[in-house]
Amino acid sequence: MSDVEPETSGTTDAPPETKAEVDRGFEQLYRDHLRDVYSYCYYRVGNHHDAEDLTEQTFLQAYRHYARARRESDGRPLRPWLIRIAHNLAANFYRDRSRKPQTALDNIEPPAAKHSTEAVVEGRDELRAVMEHIQELPEERREALVMRFALGMDNREIARAMGKSDGATKVLLHRAIKQLQERLEEAGHG
Amino acid sequence: MDEIRLEHLLSDVLRPVEPPERMSTRLQNRFAAISEAAASDLSDWADELTESEMKSLRDPGNWVRPVVAVAAGGLATGALVVFEVRRRGRQRSSRLLDRLR
Repeated sequence: MSDVEPETSGTTDAPPETKAEVDRGFEQLYRDHLRDVYSYCYYRVGNHHDAEDLTEQTFLQAYRHYARARRESDGRPLRPWLIRIAHNLAANFYRDRSRKPQTALDNIEPPAAKHSTEAVVEGRDELRAVMEHIQELPEERREALVMRFALGMDNREIARAMGKSDGATKVLLHRAIKQLQERLEEAGHG
Repeated sequence: MDEIRLEHLLSDVLRPVEPPERMSTRLQNRFAAISEAAASDLSDWADELTESEMKSLRDPGNWVRPVVAVAAGGLATGALVVFEVRRRGRQRSSRLLDRLR
């Protein structure tokens, strides 16, 4: 693991970890959060091919800096750090390739609670409308919603992933939901 | 549409997406390969470094360069000191001459 940063600038008094320990820790991190990173990437880029690419890059980058991140995390979860890497890579992805995010509609299925055909169709339409309006939200608001609902992150985690304060994150989520609500009502999905 | 209903809809729309199995396997293989390659590189590098260090220490041909470098550095420093002493001396004598005039 020559790319992994050396254990020379520790911030704690704990003895430096061996390479095997670092590798094991990373493997666990990978297993625990592969789905989170992939989901985030998928909702950012809107297709499986690019999401795979981005997920792979995210973990490779995380692998290089893992030892240091672990030291500096003071035991806090590393998921926000991983998502932040994915966030930065996704930003470069659009900048470098002049791409626009696609709508991630493949994933939509009607809610399980609806039974009649009419209700299923109605449910599907409603979900499609929600998805379409999510895509129209400003990027930051859309991302916060993905982190909250697809990844189940709490305010603090989202704040760390986005480099914001807890308060600013709470406001961001509130505004995202409010804006979505207003747009759906305007579109007749009240 | 109230906020709670919207949040339910958001949970339905934004579901976690399972990564394809092939990607997971590919990534794990890649990490394993990087890790193995790095471990072997590191041990080769350590062996080579020790041998080459020993060799260069034993070779008298390599002693000349450091000696020349130190001598050149010493000469340059000496020249700078002499130059500075002379400059100060000239300044002092010109000040004296100014006063006498």
